[in-house]
Amino acid sequence: MAFRGCPAERRAATLLGSKRDVEPGVRGVRRAASALGLLLLLAGLVVGADLFGSREALFGAATPPPLAAAASRSGAFHPVGTSPGSTKTVLRSQAWWQEVGRFQGAGAKRLPAFEISRDAIQWRVRWECPQGRFVVRKSARAEPLVDASCGGEKTAELTGQGSEALQIAADGPWTARVEQQVDVPLVEPPLPVMSAAGTRKVATGAFYRIDQVGKGSVTIYRLASGGHALRLDDFFVTANIDLEIRLSPLRAPRTTRQYLSVPAKRVAPLDITAGSMNFTLPDGVDPARYRSVVIWCPLIDSAYAAATLEPDHAS
Amino acid sequence: MTPRPGSRAASVTAAVARPVTPQPPARAPAGSGQATRQLTLGGRTIPVILPSRHDPRLKLSVVIFALQILGQTVLDFKVSIAQILVTIGVCALVDAAVTFKRQQVLAWPASALLTGNSIAFILRASGTRHGDWWSLHGIEYFILAALMSLLVKYLVRPGGRHRFNPSNIGIVWVLLVIGPVHVFPQYLWWGPLQPPVIAALVVIGLGALWVLRAVQMLPMALSFLVPFTVLIAVFAAAGQSFVAIWQDGAIGGFDYWLRICASPELLVFVCFMMSDPATAARTPAGRCLYGAATAVVAAGLVVVQPTEFGIKVAILSSLTVMCALVPLIDAIARRPPTRLGGFHMRGVLALRPATIAVIILSATALAGTAALAHDKDLIYIERGLTGPRNAQ
Repeated sequence: MAFRGCPAERRAATLLGSKRDVEPGVRGVRRAASALGLLLLLAGLVVGADLFGSREALFGAATPPPLAAAASRSGAFHPVGTSPGSTKTVLRSQAWWQEVGRFQGAGAKRLPAFEISRDAIQWRVRWECPQGRFVVRKSARAEPLVDASCGGEKTAELTGQGSEALQIAADGPWTARVEQQVDVPLVEPPLPVMSAAGTRKVATGAFYRIDQVGKGSVTIYRLASGGHALRLDDFFVTANIDLEIRLSPLRAPRTTRQYLSVPAKRVAPLDITAGSMNFTLPDGVDPARYRSVVIWCPLIDSAYAAATLEPDHAS
Repeated sequence: MTPRPGSRAASVTAAVARPVTPQPPARAPAGSGQATRQLTLGGRTIPVILPSRHDPRLKLSVVIFALQILGQTVLDFKVSIAQILVTIGVCALVDAAVTFKRQQVLAWPASALLTGNSIAFILRASGTRHGDWWSLHGIEYFILAALMSLLVKYLVRPGGRHRFNPSNIGIVWVLLVIGPVHVFPQYLWWGPLQPPVIAALVVIGLGALWVLRAVQMLPMALSFLVPFTVLIAVFAAAGQSFVAIWQDGAIGGFDYWLRICASPELLVFVCFMMSDPATAARTPAGRCLYGAATAVVAAGLVVVQPTEFGIKVAILSSLTVMCALVPLIDAIARRPPTRLGGFHMRGVLALRPATIAVIILSATALAGTAALAHDKDLIYIERGLTGPRNAQ
């Protein structure tokens, strides 16, 4: 049935619904405007239904392109995106520094070539030399990337990706580390000592949110040596700098205020906020005295997330 | 059955459906109770139509404003006062300008104020924090929704009557076209059942009685709520669940039913958006059919949604779709289905530009909502795994 409004309503001029008698020129303009309006609505249909990925192309995505997770913090380095066996993920961590290479020498030396990942945010050289100057160039005749006096550990941050080969000139002995900053999760295998004879799981827990999102699980091991190690699995916490892993005597703190009501123990900095990672607990920390793991942000005094520790009776 | 001329229902319907009557311009619509004045400007006399205290839209505005105040003070709504005021202002300006251009009167833009207020009540821009009262963050999305609402209201008028609920079409269109990266609807869950939420529920409950009785929409509201809550209970029993940014883990079982069916947002939708007499079915029987059919469409769209965003858009989109079908509902309510046909059905199906626009907008609501069910990005957002990229 065609809805028929009252005469006054039918008289109302409408661009898309009018049947009024109008001048041919005006009618032409109205038809063109109607066609344009319908085209815009059709475009809205295409974007609204995200056909052909049009909405993402126009307005972006909440998640970045999937990348392979990093396999290690340092040592056996696999460039980001090529880590063997790692699944690609859209999750991102707080940006962290991954070691690319460690070098040492005395006087002038050409470093072996190394690769800075395409997905690295930036890279840096950290060096130590006792006296004189420390100069870094891309080639013997190039402008120095770094030209600084020695004394203590120093850092220079650089940009660029791909293969790099550095020429170092110094007045004496030196050590240098090249690191790249990435924001992919770190998925490292459990430490060998975690499955060694004499090691046992003492507690496990699942993260829940307090002030921010926290997911994944935590396992605490008592090592054969008498020390303790902690592993986070499939872990994610809302990213921020300078986060810390702390142990709390509270079983399940639900608010920052509640967490702060009892003294807690800082056990490790948390520079990577996504992935699966291992930590060694400081000597003298007995996890049996604590009942939860809390991710703490000292920057804003906020308990981000926590996991209640349940004793592991299986082992 | 249509309200008898001169009855309360008839006058209320007239007031809502036709905010100003231009014939003759200096007089207010019969039965609307709107006060009329005149303004002389440069020797030209312009009739001024002021608001009437009997106008049900004023009642509705009072209820929504009360909820906005609770939202700004104790309910942690992530919308700023500036966003609310700009949205209302844009709607009021456009509406007043259009009315003046068409009818040469300065009319109190009661409908537009309500449209703007409703948009700001439901729409959210990702990244807006509660308490940033003067933030204009994401204001472009509010303005877009306001303009879309009024453009559709004034330009898409098959048969000379606007088909869609203005705020509903604006919100749905912006939520689907702009997408969950930048905008989201007010959460289904307003917080634990403590004094702030209880106060909001009291305001909604009393407001619903106050407004729905005036527009004779209580049966319509019940005809939506009963089948919808039953269908959601069936889905919950069948193991449906969804994820939401405000809760760890999937929400299933009894919580699935509770979070959807006892949501203040659902009540606001039913009592204050679906109940617009200008876009609902006209007859009492038609309104019950309209309520029940909207419930079925809403449930059908909800069942495939794994996220709160999807569920909320599904509920809103069901109204978009059903508003498009109101003439058909009116026809069914007036005549047995077997006698439908002939001239009237041909009229509905005539592909004039306005009718095509109605079809496209309904298709956008349906296809866009269905597509949300497979949106992996949305899952990451609702699980809070996108970090600073989305601060919903």
